[in-house]
Amino acid sequence: MTPLIGLLLLLEAVAGTAVALSRKPRRQVLAMSVNGQVLALLFMALQAPDVAFSEIVVGAAVLPLMFLVMLASCRMDRASSGQDET
Amino acid sequence: MSATGRLGLFAFACLLLIPIVWQLVLAMPPFGAHPLPYADLINAAAPAERHVTNMVSAVNFDYRGIDTLGEETMLVCAVTGATVLLRGQRGEQLEAHPGQVENRPIPHRSEAMLLVGRLAAPLTVLFGAYVALHGMTTPGGGFQGGVIIASGLLLLFLAEDYRGWRRLMRSWLFDGLEGLGVALYALGGLAALPLGLPFLTNILPYGQPRNVFSGGLMIIENLAVALAVCGGFVVLLIEFLEETRVMSDGEQE
Amino acid sequence: MNLLPWIVVAWLMLAGLYGMITSGNIVHLIGCLSTVQSATYVLLLAAGYRHGAGAPIFYTHPPGTPAVDPVVQALVLTDIVIGGAVTALLLALALQLHKRRGSLKPDELRALHR
Repeated sequence: MTPLIGLLLLLEAVAGTAVALSRKPRRQVLAMSVNGQVLALLFMALQAPDVAFSEIVVGAAVLPLMFLVMLASCRMDRASSGQDET
Repeated sequence: MSATGRLGLFAFACLLLIPIVWQLVLAMPPFGAHPLPYADLINAAAPAERHVTNMVSAVNFDYRGIDTLGEETMLVCAVTGATVLLRGQRGEQLEAHPGQVENRPIPHRSEAMLLVGRLAAPLTVLFGAYVALHGMTTPGGGFQGGVIIASGLLLLFLAEDYRGWRRLMRSWLFDGLEGLGVALYALGGLAALPLGLPFLTNILPYGQPRNVFSGGLMIIENLAVALAVCGGFVVLLIEFLEETRVMSDGEQE
Repeated sequence: MNLLPWIVVAWLMLAGLYGMITSGNIVHLIGCLSTVQSATYVLLLAAGYRHGAGAPIFYTHPPGTPAVDPVVQALVLTDIVIGGAVTALLLALALQLHKRRGSLKPDELRALHR
């Protein structure tokens, strides 16, 4: 097992834990994007370029944007009630 | 159940499961050093049989082609579910204004963003088309190319403001694209049935290895998957971004 | 050290489940689900790896050079794309929940509790 794969596995464990432990949704979106990028690097190290392609686009670009848009439209709905939970 | 109750139950389950998981980890085959018989068979047989050089695409579209049909159906179901939940009663409003979060002004569109977006979006769409077309020879394929094209169209949203982007992205076009993709895949598989062969048999000529048009029926299936994935993701983006606009009169949720 | 991939997989799944159980916001819960999904991707790709082998693309190398497993790569790549679409469906459900009930906290969203 090469040092690169070992290092990327440990980094992925840290990134995944950061996603689970970020309580506020808007912070978690950034953690999810970082997790997607670290996963893509890990997949490249495991000799899987096709999988890294999909993971970069879906995990680091499209999905965090959908989360942010959903949170923004929730805040627009609650403009009258005045509560903020994000 | 209260939060502490849930946490207590989780701790109890961990106490039971962690020794079992540890025994599993110890019993796993050695990382990187165990035999892979199915992989060796495909890596040895596929280049000669199907004249393709990308083994992952060969597995996706030929050896396990029926699984990919199931995945496409799952994509259509998920996108249909999200559309039904979000579209509701609204029509196709192309003159809608973007909504506003309280106490936050809508930022003015910056020129740098506009320039970079207008330069990068066509290049990204072109790159996505390249990746989708060259699925049989180099890393890539329909799934990857479709999502890259969808993200290129998303770059357009970052560059133009909401109304400009919405005028470019018509829902009927991408709905049709998604349906066309799945239909093309299924019809390509059905083409073998009148000849007495099983569903999804590769009946077209295989072509030369290392050529873009190699693999026979895989070219059609690759194209179908690229269309379906691109259409599906853009429909999802349109539906989500429509949720952020100001509601017009007479509309309910 | 040879056990590191499997330990990382078990840890990621445990962390994701812990995040889901102690979550106070439905959107945070959906994000933790993505952590559990990434644990399965790492498990599949680590099971298909082979030391000293290259990618299963024979464009520049002749067929016959050692390569890793293409079947698990095919599984994981369709899984990532379709998993993204299913997560979008979950987000749409959460949005409708917010519109009807006005809250995203799981403790306030009991079924018959108005």
